Amino acid sequence: MSILTISRQIGSFGDEIAETIARRQDCELITRSGLIDRFFAQTASERDRHLLNESAKYFLNISQDGLTYLDILMRSLTEMARTQSAVLVGFGSQVIFADDPEALHIRIEAPVKTRIARIRKQYHVSEEEAASILETADKKHKRFVSVVFGVNSSDSSLYHMTLNTAQLSADECVSAILSIQKEHELRLRLERENKKSETVDHQCDVPIFKNAAEAEFARILDMYQIKWQYEPKTFPVEWDAEGNVTLAFSPDFYLTKFDTYIELTIMNQKYVTEKNRKIKKVRELYPGTNVRIVYKKDFHSLVERFNGGVS
Amino acid sequence: MADIKQKRILYSEEDLKKRVTELGEQISRDYAGRDLVIIGVMKGSLYFFSDLTRAITIPIGIDLISIGTIPNTTNRTGIVRITKDLDLDITGKDVLVIEDIIRTGLTTAYLVQNLDARKPESICVCSLLLLPDQQLINVPVKYFGYEITNEWLIGYGMDIRERGRNLPYIAEIEKTSG
Repeated sequence: MSILTISRQIGSFGDEIAETIARRQDCELITRSGLIDRFFAQTASERDRHLLNESAKYFLNISQDGLTYLDILMRSLTEMARTQSAVLVGFGSQVIFADDPEALHIRIEAPVKTRIARIRKQYHVSEEEAASILETADKKHKRFVSVVFGVNSSDSSLYHMTLNTAQLSADECVSAILSIQKEHELRLRLERENKKSETVDHQCDVPIFKNAAEAEFARILDMYQIKWQYEPKTFPVEWDAEGNVTLAFSPDFYLTKFDTYIELTIMNQKYVTEKNRKIKKVRELYPGTNVRIVYKKDFHSLVERFNGGVS
Repeated sequence: MADIKQKRILYSEEDLKKRVTELGEQISRDYAGRDLVIIGVMKGSLYFFSDLTRAITIPIGIDLISIGTIPNTTNRTGIVRITKDLDLDITGKDVLVIEDIIRTGLTTAYLVQNLDARKPESICVCSLLLLPDQQLINVPVKYFGYEITNEWLIGYGMDIRERGRNLPYIAEIEKTSG
């Protein structure tokens, strides 16, 4: 299940961005006030819930279950994340899910001047009043994460991405977050598949093409805006008696949207035969893996055709 | 046309009519009661699209799309873009893309990606001709007319240098014609 945490400054449009993403993803939006009612309805009295809303320190108090409210919160959120996707806004959710590889953490910011202008417009207040609202809100946000989790919420290492809404519109931020979330989920899926099938993951490597043909092929894919990864995976296909890999195969390209591996074979025939043997083994050992081969003749006619226009 | 040498007629007008009718009947059965929009990819699918949509017996929406390339001065291949977009909104609808021929599948993949972003209920492809040996990408081809191995063809929408689309049959041509 996908978990997206959004830490935002007041006046940064972070709440609006989070709401839009939750709506587009058709998943639950969880805010601090919502989670207190949701997770503490059974374990905390009305007074306790009120204090949890008001005081960061109160999360460290022991509840009637013998656990701190923070423990209950973390346990409840972790359980929830196993069964549903959610967008979580504030309350240090980036820290709660810091070690969850499935979670994506986003920070939404804007310069003070921009945020003051937005607060003035939103609340119809003077510049001084807006500055005061901003200062109080910033302090409260910082204090909550600092008191409850002992970290500084503006520490950039807590986030995968920080967006500045003075430079980007809310729509651009939504698109950027959805795009990175999609890529992140794809990478995680490939990682999971690699673990399961004992293939080797190269996804973090920067693509360095082995020859001009691969670069040309990448350009053709870019021309069609077809997303690709370069050699993201190695498939072991033969092992010795001790289980050491003796033969492996790394297809040149993976077309993410179409779940297709592409291997270019533009060298001598003797290597082509060897490649064909490896691909046959991949198909046998990893059923459902879709590998297509582009032979020398086909590659040249492809390049010729695409340099001339649309096929 | 003088320099385009036809070797033989691969599919006659009668062959095409029969196969298109079969496809139309199959599509009518499969999409009965659904909200189907059929999208023809210009210009190659022009005649196939026209005959196929008339062979479909259920009410459908029809639209046309066209793609082309923008040359790029810093990149030899340029980029592909839509030159004539849809007029219909396909959100929540079943979409069937009509192609004349799928070779590598790159063009179709581009279209499927683009149309998929508009959140249709489903998106499938119907191509008159398929070249399975050259296909690189698994595009969702639900229907096809014929599987072929030779791509040097003309007629029924397919052209050589913008000539011969109007021939009522599909003919194989000499390679030197291109």
